[in-house]
Amino acid sequence: MKIALCSTQMPFVLGGARQIVEWLDEELRRVGHQVEMVWLPQVDTPELLFRQMMAYRWIDLSAADRIICFRPQAHLIRHRHKILWFIHHIRVFYDLWDTEYRNFPDDVKHQGIRQALHAADTAGLREAKTVFTNSKVVSDRLTSFNGVDSKILYPPVAQPERFQFNRLGDEIVCICRIEDHKRQDLLIEALAHTKTPVRLRICGASSNDFYVWELRRRVRELGLTHRIQIDHRWISEEEKTGLLADCLAAAYMPFDEDSYGYPTIEACHSHKPILTTLDSGGVMELVQDGVNGFAAEPTPQGVALAMDALFADRTRTREMGDNARRRLDELSISWSHVLNSILA
Amino acid sequence: MKVLIVNNMAPFVWGGAEELATHLKRNLLAHGHTADVLRIPFQWQPVPKIPTQMLLVRGIELENVDRVIGLQFPAYLIRHPQKTLWVLHQYRQAYDLYDAGHTDLEEVDGLRALIKSADEETFAECRQIFTNSEVTRRRLSHYNSVEAQVLMPPVNDPELFYEAPAEGYIFAGGRVNNMKRQRLLLEAFAMTTGRAKLVIAGPAEDESYAADLRTTIDRMGIADRVTLDIRFLPRGVYADYVRKASAVAYVPFDEDSLGYVAMEGVTARKPLLTTADSGGVLGLARDRETGWVAAPTAAALAEAMTSVFEDPARARTYGQAANELWRSMDISWPDTVSRLLR
Repeated sequence: MKIALCSTQMPFVLGGARQIVEWLDEELRRVGHQVEMVWLPQVDTPELLFRQMMAYRWIDLSAADRIICFRPQAHLIRHRHKILWFIHHIRVFYDLWDTEYRNFPDDVKHQGIRQALHAADTAGLREAKTVFTNSKVVSDRLTSFNGVDSKILYPPVAQPERFQFNRLGDEIVCICRIEDHKRQDLLIEALAHTKTPVRLRICGASSNDFYVWELRRRVRELGLTHRIQIDHRWISEEEKTGLLADCLAAAYMPFDEDSYGYPTIEACHSHKPILTTLDSGGVMELVQDGVNGFAAEPTPQGVALAMDALFADRTRTREMGDNARRRLDELSISWSHVLNSILA
Repeated sequence: MKVLIVNNMAPFVWGGAEELATHLKRNLLAHGHTADVLRIPFQWQPVPKIPTQMLLVRGIELENVDRVIGLQFPAYLIRHPQKTLWVLHQYRQAYDLYDAGHTDLEEVDGLRALIKSADEETFAECRQIFTNSEVTRRRLSHYNSVEAQVLMPPVNDPELFYEAPAEGYIFAGGRVNNMKRQRLLLEAFAMTTGRAKLVIAGPAEDESYAADLRTTIDRMGIADRVTLDIRFLPRGVYADYVRKASAVAYVPFDEDSLGYVAMEGVTARKPLLTTADSGGVLGLARDRETGWVAAPTAAALAEAMTSVFEDPARARTYGQAANELWRSMDISWPDTVSRLLR
């Protein structure tokens, strides 16, 4: 089959939203389909939304047997067999309207734009044969804002067989971008409250050098330099699989994210439990407290309790790691399930 | 500098323009720039949809880009204050093919004028305008009164095309179709005698043309001397054919540019065999200097083919001369990148 995968991006910005498309491209080719990835620029400035929308409406992908669309406004492309794997709205016009992220006034003009955008989105969504989302949160938003039903199709990671259990070490690893909404600071504060000698390793690139500098300063201030390692860089995939294979557990505690996040399922594939917090959002769709990880209170004391528990009861930690792997099957997080759904 | 190369995407089709964009990106990166390719879907048919597809390109917003290099109509219409064009194609149906009567634009009133005015509006917005050949440069001058500079695309992977000892065959590579006249080569080759061989290899765009070649080979009883390798060749296989050839034959009808097949052949120090009506190829092929330029008939080509094997030392001398002529043109990626970004 000829399949076009359509999404949007800011030129030269490598966001996580690229991976779901690139990995699906790989998987579809592997089973013999012809795939074309269509990446188009998209700027969220309110005044420019509708001009760009026209551009998307005029795109002619009739050469494809079906198209699969991801980020806005790629979902507005017309096609006789359109499938959406919808990962977010243009959120300032939806759930983030009443937040600091809206950098324009709540006036008649912008309310008008919002109303027109909702109408256009709803119409574009209704054109699709099937609407999939990457999380319950996004499905709920589609229901409440657009009145559109959708199915959750959890995105897997690329070549999951790379991840394996090697041993249960004494280090909790946190492998994701180092940003303040990922709350590596909470992990550091928590470690100061632990009673066991559990260790912490933080790896990742950052867009915020000051935040990283602050983290390092805090580690020194708390006298934890011998128990915390910060690798401020994009680590290789080999390093990542190695760290996960050898760690005690993986921590991922973003603040209220939509989806469970790739770090979570990378931990599951490595048979390691996940340490998160109750307010992490989509991560909670996967993590069951005390079963396949811990969902701690988002306080240094709360997280410290979980860290100590992981370190102290290794038999249970090992079991929780196996449960984490099993959880992937319960939620049908696999490429074969994705392909079956999308090619149905 | 963040450089965005912008060209068309014919969905599920990959060809020369896509290769060029990929290699341009690779070379921009090698020069320390940040680079990417934006491919904008475009379908030539149906003709009434051309105007909306032009508007589509104009509707795209670009942020976070320092420089745009546009390659094709209509992708090069994209709005950006720092845009340079390296024109591979105008929409020829609105220009020279229109004059030649090969156009379907008349289905839509005013479409030709629309394309011309959009082109001219874009040309006026650009920092610089290059074309990939003299022919395209002349068209821009003639039809749009724009004086562009010729910037011929370099060989994408010159390191593959080193010289290896000749193994006694003439190699005809590249796409297999009517315009490239592989059939003429076969007819000529059938008129030659001796142990010489001919290898024709490349992707067929039209299966019936490939079938016709097969029948021709059988009918002329030259199956034992001809290898027909019709497929999209892995780059290494293609280069290997070139490296071991005694000569490279390339006989397109009135090609715009030097042609990759010819450029790659002379990079590997092979003499060229072409016809007097091959257009741009004549920039490299000079009769009895860098190869053979024959009249476009089977008999004349057969004579040239015979002389390839008659005197191998002479063929090698022509190959050396072809390589020197090519190098004197100084067409390299470093120079191309710096001219495009000037």
